[in-house]
Amino acid sequence: MVTVSGEDLPKATVLLRDGLIQDVGAGIAIPRDAWVIEGAGLTVYPGFIDGLSRWGLAAAASSTTPAPRSQGPEDRPQTYSFERAADLLDPGDHRLEAARGAGFTAAATFPDRGIFEGLGAMIGLAGARARDMVIDEPIGQQITFRFGGGPASNGFPASLMGNIAYVRQLYLDLDHYKQAKATRRPEYDHALEGLEESPRVLLPAEEAQQIDRMLNFAPELKTPVLLYGLHEAYRRIETLKQTHVPLLVSLKWPEKPRDADPNDAPNYRELVMREQAPTVPGLLAKAGLKFGFYSDGIDTATGLRQAVKKAIDAGLPRADAIRALTRNVAEMYGLADRLGTIERGKIANLVVTKGDVFEDKTTIEYVFVGGRKFVPEKEVHD
Amino acid sequence: MTRLCLIVLLLAATGWRAAAEALLIRNATVLTVTKGTIQDGSVLVENGKITAVGQNLSAPAGAVVVDAGGKFLMPGLIDCHSHTAIEGGVNEGTVSDSSMVNIEDVLDPMDINIYRALAGGLTVSNVLHGSANAIGGQTVVIKLRWGKTAQEMLLAGAKPGIKFALGENPKRQGYTPPAVLPLGRPAERRFPGTRMGVEDVIRQSFVEAKNYQADWQVYRQRVARGEHPVAPRKDLRLEPLVEVLEGKRYVHAHCYRSDEILMLIRVADEMGFKIRTLQHALEAYKVAREIAEHGASVSTFSDWWSYKIEAFDATPYNVAILTRKGVLVSVNSDSDELQRHLNLEAAKSMRYGGLSEAEALALVTINPAKQLGIDDKVGSIEVGKSADLALFEGHPLSNYSKALRVWIDGHEYFDRDKDLETRPDFERKKRALEDKDNGAQQRLPTRR
Amino acid sequence: MTKLFLTLALAGFYCVAAPAAESNSVLIRNATIHPVTGPEVQNSSVLIIDGRIAEIGPKLVSRGAIRTVDARGLHLYPGLINAATNVGLVEIQAMRDTVDLDEVGLFNPELRAATVFNPSSEHVEVTRAAGITSVISLPGSGSRRASPAGGILITGQGALMHLDGWTWEEMAVKPGAVMDLLFPEVEPAPRQGSVAPRPGSPTPRPYKEEERQYQARLRELSEFFEQARRYQKAMVAGGADFRRDLRLEAMIPVLEGQQPLAMRAERERSIRDAVAFADKEKVKIIIADPREIGGTGPLLKERHIPVILGRAFQLPMRDDDPYDASYMLAAQFYRAGVKICFGTFDVQFARNVGFEAAQAAAFGLPREEALKALTINSAEILGVGDRLGSIEKGKFGDLILTDGDPLEARTNIRQMFIAGREVSLESRHTREYEKWTKRP
Repeated sequence: MVTVSGEDLPKATVLLRDGLIQDVGAGIAIPRDAWVIEGAGLTVYPGFIDGLSRWGLAAAASSTTPAPRSQGPEDRPQTYSFERAADLLDPGDHRLEAARGAGFTAAATFPDRGIFEGLGAMIGLAGARARDMVIDEPIGQQITFRFGGGPASNGFPASLMGNIAYVRQLYLDLDHYKQAKATRRPEYDHALEGLEESPRVLLPAEEAQQIDRMLNFAPELKTPVLLYGLHEAYRRIETLKQTHVPLLVSLKWPEKPRDADPNDAPNYRELVMREQAPTVPGLLAKAGLKFGFYSDGIDTATGLRQAVKKAIDAGLPRADAIRALTRNVAEMYGLADRLGTIERGKIANLVVTKGDVFEDKTTIEYVFVGGRKFVPEKEVHD
Repeated sequence: MTRLCLIVLLLAATGWRAAAEALLIRNATVLTVTKGTIQDGSVLVENGKITAVGQNLSAPAGAVVVDAGGKFLMPGLIDCHSHTAIEGGVNEGTVSDSSMVNIEDVLDPMDINIYRALAGGLTVSNVLHGSANAIGGQTVVIKLRWGKTAQEMLLAGAKPGIKFALGENPKRQGYTPPAVLPLGRPAERRFPGTRMGVEDVIRQSFVEAKNYQADWQVYRQRVARGEHPVAPRKDLRLEPLVEVLEGKRYVHAHCYRSDEILMLIRVADEMGFKIRTLQHALEAYKVAREIAEHGASVSTFSDWWSYKIEAFDATPYNVAILTRKGVLVSVNSDSDELQRHLNLEAAKSMRYGGLSEAEALALVTINPAKQLGIDDKVGSIEVGKSADLALFEGHPLSNYSKALRVWIDGHEYFDRDKDLETRPDFERKKRALEDKDNGAQQRLPTRR
Repeated sequence: MTKLFLTLALAGFYCVAAPAAESNSVLIRNATIHPVTGPEVQNSSVLIIDGRIAEIGPKLVSRGAIRTVDARGLHLYPGLINAATNVGLVEIQAMRDTVDLDEVGLFNPELRAATVFNPSSEHVEVTRAAGITSVISLPGSGSRRASPAGGILITGQGALMHLDGWTWEEMAVKPGAVMDLLFPEVEPAPRQGSVAPRPGSPTPRPYKEEERQYQARLRELSEFFEQARRYQKAMVAGGADFRRDLRLEAMIPVLEGQQPLAMRAERERSIRDAVAFADKEKVKIIIADPREIGGTGPLLKERHIPVILGRAFQLPMRDDDPYDASYMLAAQFYRAGVKICFGTFDVQFARNVGFEAAQAAAFGLPREEALKALTINSAEILGVGDRLGSIEKGKFGDLILTDGDPLEARTNIRQMFIAGREVSLESRHTREYEKWTKRP
């Protein structure tokens, strides 16, 4: 039993009732009405938690009418800060099966359009009804910078600096809004209400200079910040050590595209990123920095497992890999008391395997989401 | 970026030290720019500053000594108009006035063009927003400290700026030629579509800025009286314009035709601010007197012309005419490519108008330094200034010359010999990575 | 009597003075002569009669009414040649109405730059003021990005023009000097960015698409050449059915090896494929505006394929390329034994071709070779080596008098002669200077 809260327990028992872990340990009392699964040869881990995902979201209704061209920050362009993932859930999302097949039982799910993408929710990756899936919400606001479509496409902002200036202005407006609310009743600003509710903000930080940029920018927002991406963080370990910002590392390692020109050599920097990105988790662990993993669009069980294995092969200790998939993510979102370890009182999310969960030959026997048992489909290898 | 790693390693291996160490460059033809030329000259650098310039200087103990072999040492070159090292778009042209955006937010210290510019002797760049709108974004001055972070590249003490643009570029979206729009979208025009509208945007924005300034003054007065009013909304667009009015931010205005140059001078007079530099200003020679009276300076191309109609009256004699009529002139690049040989651009003014050698060199050193308000720190080889130096083989004003070594604050950031040395190793490393990359293709399993 | 005498005297004065501007005979004395095909000669003279160099030597004497120019202290060079420009065909690049490049259609070999060369273009005077006496004007811009829908392959015939003359007819030295061909290229993928771009931003074409397009173009090119050969055969055979086709007819000099194809090929692969194409079709080619040499040096040397280099002042193609990649290119081709000449492939900086050649000299090209690549090499590559490119008896009197090395910015071009006629070095630029300097 890999509890993550303490030492691994050989030959231990975990007792689940009403969706929670009632007890865990060696030789605990087993109630007479309990359904028993013999665990000889099995390993139990806390269910994995995806640090940033789109699992469980209903397919977005594509709007046919383009948004009116924005003429400045006052038009609140590309701002969906008020949208709640919790309101957009679809328990029938077929991708949930793939996620579970990789051992994920919970996920921080965020809506995915615009610059201010909306309020995320921590969900269990199964439920009879949408509302049964929600563990906690809102858990944060995701920000993604959107630019490059050209000035004629949708108005302000069309550049990265425009995006940053807009985010900065919105937080200033939030400040002003809060002050104004205290003295008089201002106009209702949907966008600002959404910001006000966010307990923390997720900022994109993939390349080294972007990491610097976001670390520099974060204090201006006066709200807790998480950085996500981090593939070039191997250049910034020392800097990150100074700041202790929670980090979410994308499992979608940069790779050579399937269809590449054999006559054209890629950039050296790009090649280095492809080689070094998987070393980032190991380097972060060694530096004592807390980080979690997120799926970043990988939606096959094997894909996810191989991605984590790549980090382990590149130097991430196994125990740290498990922590990055479980306890660290729970802590980052303030849910350490409910998720992330196999401890009494926590939600009954477990992954049960025959063998080490990251090895290719290992099969995942069961996945428990909120105490409910799932048997994942076995994947076929070529 | 990787070339940086290899060069830094090589420099470290051969004894490159921190700025605290002394550096003596001797046996050079020292082109000070402001104090003449010193044959068989030496320059002593300590703690990043020039501490002595002359002949027969002696090196303090522990100093790194560079024998310049009679080659030419000049101040590091300065470019007053650059768009290098900007990530995610040079323009926020979607709105008529985008003064809320800031180039400082998007500096990309890993742009390889920084290194390529260094290799041509460039040490300082005025990094500007583009010219897609009448009032563009906030601008910064950087030193090309290749290998450092964006924050570390900022030139400490340089006043920040803001970019204006007049003429054809900022009005283009007002009549939206079809080529600009994606297919199927109805034309959405953005004001202004004429030069008259360009003037209007600037005047309107400054009127708004003055109102904003007044609102904040009222607020501060009320607070001073012990009241508790709600502060006005902080508007990032108007803040920098207020700074312009208060003389805390330089205006760098892209312009071409004489009428728009004069227009901006009159608007500035009306609103109560000073234009710092007129950028490009290819017809500035027609209104040299008015420019000099206003107190603006000009940063222009050496010999660009004819690429658009507003550039058709350009003449390479622009620099000479302005210089003779008492306007401070610099030659700039506005180009990742041109910034690599600003010394050669400056040389052209010797042919076009008969500028002297000293006047030509000043165009890309002390003159832009003055324009950016940093001439106390850089722009010439003088005691007390930062050790921003470039060593050339051949006189820098000769088309047969090339830069060999470049120092900023006494650190060596470019050495051609070392660059050449690291090439085979770099090729090897890259090939090794490519092989690895090619072998790393995985096949993902299929679902049953 | 006095009145008659005065009238005759005045008449006499005008008779002597008037033809001087149009005269194409002149004696230039006491200059330091740089023939290019031979060593520098001090204190020597050149006599030009009826536009051609008649004699070179010390202490020449003028004949008849030929005017004398005292060039003491000055240097005499052959006029520079810019082997690739769009001068005369473009006035203001951003104004489409003033641009006559890149005609619609994949194959336009019959189009001629010579006949649309505007002798009144401001660029003529501006370009020659820098010491350039002739240019090649090409009907294509070489831009791949601005390619009209349907693509572009053969844009027409580039002309070698003197930068002096009342009409294009007078200016044309060789109207069909080269056939301009834009060889296909596979555009490389842009660097994989990281910060998420907005959905809807243009996605680059996948390599497979690019490759397919490339192969398709090569096939079309081959098919067109075959068409041209069939036409040639039919024309030779004569016959009642034969109908004249201007397009295919224009290909005949190319097929016969009389007119070289200037193939614009940037990357190593395209250069190799261009050479392979020339081998297969047995045509004479010049590689135009290559951006790298790769391993093509020996191949080009072996086939005696010359190169028209583009501007040295270009950024390296790839992030990882050495910073001086473009500067070094001339020297690399030279060292590989390839014959090179310089062009700028534009209008705006056509006059700076000499400066760019000098930078190439800073990065490995011997100085004498740089000068040759601006004069005799260009002439020989363009098939006019008997008429231009050096100071030798029998050649055109295309000469410049300078106070130093014409490749240096600080040097002033003092006088210029094209085909023996002295031409003004004034231009729009100098006229603005004169006028506005005088503003009080």
